[in-house]
Amino acid sequence: MDYLFTQAANGAVIGVIYALIAVGVTIIFSILKIVNFAHGDLYMLGGYCAYYVITLLGVPPVPALLVAMASVFTFGIVLERLLLTPLYSERTERKDEYGLIVTFGLAFFLRNMALIVFGPFPLRPPSFVPGILHLGNLILTNDRVFAGAAGLVLLGLLLYFMNGTIWGQALDAVSQSRDSAAIVGINPGRFNSLAFGVGAGLAGGAGALIAPMFSLAPDMGVSSNIQAYVIVILGGMGSVLGSILAGFFLGESEGLFTAFFPDPTRALSYTNAFGVLVLMIVLIFRPTGLFGRRHVRME
Amino acid sequence: MRWLHACVLAAAAAAGLAYAGHLNSYWMHVAIIAMFYAILTASWSLLAGYTGLFSLSHMAFASVGGYTSALLVLWYGIPIPLGMAAGIAMCCAVGGIIGWVCLRMSGPYLAIFTLAFSEIVRITFSTEDQVTAGMAGLHVPALLQSTSRLPYIYVAFGLLAVSLAIMAVMVHSRWGLFFRAIREDEQAAAACGVRVAHFRILAFAVASGFAGLAGGFYAHYIGVLTPSLGSLDLMAIVVVMTVLGGMESLPTAVGGAITVEVLQELLRAYGQWRLVLLGILLLLTMRFARNGLLTPIWQHLVRLGDVPTAPPATRDVGQEGSRV
Repeated sequence: MDYLFTQAANGAVIGVIYALIAVGVTIIFSILKIVNFAHGDLYMLGGYCAYYVITLLGVPPVPALLVAMASVFTFGIVLERLLLTPLYSERTERKDEYGLIVTFGLAFFLRNMALIVFGPFPLRPPSFVPGILHLGNLILTNDRVFAGAAGLVLLGLLLYFMNGTIWGQALDAVSQSRDSAAIVGINPGRFNSLAFGVGAGLAGGAGALIAPMFSLAPDMGVSSNIQAYVIVILGGMGSVLGSILAGFFLGESEGLFTAFFPDPTRALSYTNAFGVLVLMIVLIFRPTGLFGRRHVRME
Repeated sequence: MRWLHACVLAAAAAAGLAYAGHLNSYWMHVAIIAMFYAILTASWSLLAGYTGLFSLSHMAFASVGGYTSALLVLWYGIPIPLGMAAGIAMCCAVGGIIGWVCLRMSGPYLAIFTLAFSEIVRITFSTEDQVTAGMAGLHVPALLQSTSRLPYIYVAFGLLAVSLAIMAVMVHSRWGLFFRAIREDEQAAAACGVRVAHFRILAFAVASGFAGLAGGFYAHYIGVLTPSLGSLDLMAIVVVMTVLGGMESLPTAVGGAITVEVLQELLRAYGQWRLVLLGILLLLTMRFARNGLLTPIWQHLVRLGDVPTAPPATRDVGQEGSRV
């Protein structure tokens, strides 16, 4: 029973991290109308960025988290300006194919670059808050509690940004109709960059938060990328709240799946497959996702 | 000369075959692997370039084909060509099912779905290690009892030629037209009477079958099969090869495969940097020469062959009217 509670608590923390990655995919999708296949690699970059800021510059972990988010945010905007501008041109044919191949190639490039620059060996930055938390029989490391709490704060800030500020409203307007947004004086180009940057920054933050729990590896982006798609499809493309809920759901169900899978030696490797199976089933029966917004779909 | 481009291709292939005997063993291996990739890129261009179905499960099908053939040969001792045929049939069937299941999906949804499928295949193959030997590698009987690699070159060349011939006949027939119509606009194609569902499933089944053929050949050539044959990195290399060459026609896709494979071997000293270079090349190609680097050359060649020897005969109005 204790094992079950521990798994549930761990699942909730992982769920928050998943949600942070997935809302980025959703925001980028609803504004730029592309699925970012390099999202997991931005998450990986965030983790490494925090690691090097901590170990080389001696910055404490919490400011390092903010530095990592800011640098991945900037990097995201640079990438968007360099590679994704043809998406907004009328002369580009088959934009979804262009977005697909470019982000897929970007992921391949970043992953192999990371393998050279950061090396293949797992790295682990120091804890945010060292120590272990005892809650009755429930034992959690402080890192997990911190990651969960910080993730929730970030998600809350994001929800406020999207719903309560004028920039968030402008993003929503661009996602509904680029032309109408331009007519009322919103510069769609600037908000494309902003959306990609915010998505990248959140992924970077997730990477920095998860780094002390699981070690960093250059290919950590691959599986988290797929988890993010599971969540985004489950929660509906373009729905931020849907992604958050689906993130929790996936984190929890993966934790419990591992706890209940009959053959413990294979449970861990099939956990990833479980999420992917959920993804395939949802795509088959309800391609717009469970909370999909009608206007946000591929053209 | 109407068929100039086909003649040039045939001449290049004949020259390559004649020269193959003079290669050393190492470059023979490179040539065989290049032809293995060429089958994969050609069939992927049939799927992604012609029909517009951007599938990321192509390497997963190659590993399904490889494992099917290898396990059947190991368990039942059937002849290897029969095993490879069974692998192809298996891939056609699974590919058809995948094509049927994702009929409603387009663009990125299809890519995500096929990515998910390929991950499931890879995870299953590496976890069920009692059956597949997992990451330790399954030892597969060799296709030919020969220590030289020359016979393998002929086999690989034969397989590539047959695959290309079948695919070329397909894309130059009405079917090819239907495929491209589906890529440009599915609804418009359906409105013109193209059976969209039928041809999407067909494209998936055929392309997967060729991937299975390539996978089966690879398994019996290398002799060791691991689940990393279906990994995302190999898929990315196939995408790079196809896009660099030009994904919208078969010869350019094949040219891309051969060029990139030779390039990879020439730059072997640079190790991991080669993959970074390929990534940069892919991004630059997509950004600035989206049709592929070999496409202009190929189109020039085709146009050269099409130069009319006599000025086009003037048609009378009566004939023109009867054509409407």
